[in-house]
Amino acid sequence: MTQISTFFGLQQTLRGLLAHQRALDVTGHNITNANTEGYSRQDAVMAAATPYDIEAGLLVDGGGAMLGGGVDIQAFRRIRDGFLDLQYRAQNMKLGEYTGTSDALEQVEQGLSEPGENGIAAQLDKFWSAWSAVANNPENLATRQNLVEQARILSGSIKDLDARVTTIENQVNAEYASVTGPNGDVKSMADEIAKLNGAIKFAVADGDQPNDLYDRRDVLLDKLSSLAQVSVTDLGNGAISVNFGDAATPLVNDATVTWPQTLTNPGGKLGALLQLTAPLVPVPPSTTPGTLESYRADLNAFAKKVADDVNLLHNPGGTGTNFFTYGAPGTEAASLTVNVAATGVRYATGTASGSNDIAIAIAKLRGGAGDQQYQALVARIGSDVRNTDRLESSASTLAGAINDRRQSTSGVSMDEEMTNLIKFQRGYQASARAMNTVDEMLDQLINRTGRVGL
Amino acid sequence: MTMRLSNQMLSRNTLGDLTKVSNQLYNTQRKMSSGKEITKPSDDPFGTTRAVTGRRDLEEINQLQKNVDDASAFQGVTEVALSRITDVVQRARELLVQGASDSNGAAERASIAKEINQLIETAKTEGNASYAGRYIFSGTATTTRPYAVGGTDAYAGDAGNIVRTIGPGVSIPVNVRGADFLGGDPTVTQPDGLLLTTLRDISAHLTGGTAADANALRTTDLQNLDRNLDNITSIRATVGATTNRLETATARLRELQEASSNNLSKVEDADMAKTLTDFSLQQAVYQSALKTGANIVQNSLLDFLR
Repeated sequence: MTQISTFFGLQQTLRGLLAHQRALDVTGHNITNANTEGYSRQDAVMAAATPYDIEAGLLVDGGGAMLGGGVDIQAFRRIRDGFLDLQYRAQNMKLGEYTGTSDALEQVEQGLSEPGENGIAAQLDKFWSAWSAVANNPENLATRQNLVEQARILSGSIKDLDARVTTIENQVNAEYASVTGPNGDVKSMADEIAKLNGAIKFAVADGDQPNDLYDRRDVLLDKLSSLAQVSVTDLGNGAISVNFGDAATPLVNDATVTWPQTLTNPGGKLGALLQLTAPLVPVPPSTTPGTLESYRADLNAFAKKVADDVNLLHNPGGTGTNFFTYGAPGTEAASLTVNVAATGVRYATGTASGSNDIAIAIAKLRGGAGDQQYQALVARIGSDVRNTDRLESSASTLAGAINDRRQSTSGVSMDEEMTNLIKFQRGYQASARAMNTVDEMLDQLINRTGRVGL
Repeated sequence: MTMRLSNQMLSRNTLGDLTKVSNQLYNTQRKMSSGKEITKPSDDPFGTTRAVTGRRDLEEINQLQKNVDDASAFQGVTEVALSRITDVVQRARELLVQGASDSNGAAERASIAKEINQLIETAKTEGNASYAGRYIFSGTATTTRPYAVGGTDAYAGDAGNIVRTIGPGVSIPVNVRGADFLGGDPTVTQPDGLLLTTLRDISAHLTGGTAADANALRTTDLQNLDRNLDNITSIRATVGATTNRLETATARLRELQEASSNNLSKVEDADMAKTLTDFSLQQAVYQSALKTGANIVQNSLLDFLR
């Protein structure tokens, strides 16, 4: 009859103690990382140890059996759904794009200060009224002085708005430069991913499962995805290759980082920044101008229209003095200037002191094409901001929902960990109790057996 | 399927919901404190253009009202001057009838002629009437005195019309030219048979002393003076009609102003009752969200383990 070691039970229960101790360690790790960004909960996978194979003679009829050897930790599992990561990054890219756009456009919108007493529309209203006042009192230099002042305020407001658009464009360009620059986010994140690639590869080659390194790499990929479209290829050895936006070469390939590269339509926040400031090429119209540039084009067209309409009436035939002057195409708003002093204002075609035909004709421009162009620009900026806000909020909701699902899979739940804590503690206690029983049994055998009559 | 809930999820969702509600509260508060439904174009892009148009309309109406006020004042001064000139004509007629009577001798006629000459100067002084530094009977040459009192009877103004815009796209002439009733226009062949030449004729006939002069006083001079009276009366009727038109314009502008203000307010101003209701509703939601949030985040199995 095949013999089984007397101390088999001790070994078996020891495995139980060790396995539960490991499981408690994992639980502790989960609890401490409950609030760590990007942490995926881990799980000690327990499995029955390889059984002790007794080929024959164990059973009464002489047959063999597999004798259970206790428990083993098979793996420390990282609980994560890679598909949700893909979904999250796609949505996060959109969120980054809309947030970038709406931040810049909201600044333009604030610059309008419409509807209100201080916007260009109100200045324009007062400008036309000033012409009416001149028509009512053409003999009086003071009304003309007031007109010239009002015209200067109007041209100043138009210039201010143009300057504001320029400032926002500069900010946007500066932000793009800083994010993509040699010390920018893209470069530093790419470097870190490359470093993690090396460490992960090393661990995988050793047969380890570097769960926490994976987590850190995934957090970086999440962050990159808000900047531009990110696609990840698994290189099979634990390392990954990361394509970034429409860059020609992968940003990270194993341990190699290729940056800076040229992006044209990368998506994400960088895509939004590029799209906002794309320059307007007027002749030939080869590219679609960026949003900010197209606002400027509208503002220029408006300034030119008002100036031209007024000049045409103020200076019929073009032989006299224009009321407004402006510079080269594309700079009309920035260079709009009042060209006459109060004494130079022409309010009538004749020389009679009381005639006012020009002033009346110019006052009639109120509500005309110029006014409407400005109104259309305001409406356009308003709808653009509203649209990007809406897109931003829906992308944010979707990204939040996907993140919830990801959290639902990977996140740490205290209640669950507490339950596990009790479970594994009890398992440990029970294993110890089993070991105690074996010990008592052996005590009986060793110390109390064969002492008959002593 | 029951969703597995993690701690980060709970706190993040609670925070997300709180942010959402407090954003709504912020927007409602802005509406309440500014009293405006639209504080920036993206609140309502179409409404914004309507608000901009509404403000423009209001500004235009205010300006038109100023134009109309100016035109009305102009008309008022014109009417006063014309009524005085009418008095002059009537006094001249009385004197003419008196002077034409055969019972008067040469001495009486000479003294009547003197008074007629005084009336001519009075008429010219009224013709030089001014409003806000402008000569009102001078055409568009508003800084030129139309008649030289004590000098010749030539009209020094021009033929221009002074125009005021009294409604959207509506411009009307508001002046009467002295050349049209006092006469003396250098571009017209003299004598033109208007008031000044007629009075001069009467004065000449009174001092002439011949039978023809006496006859002219009774016939042509009387006819001419009556014709001038008719002419001035008809000019005054025109001025009266213009004044009426300006009054109508004022009334119409008032209505327009009210309608435009109403429209603007409808587009731009917050509905306070609704905003207040929204506010208290959102505040209640916010408070309950805070309360539940605090409870959810606090409680866990940990509280019940020894």
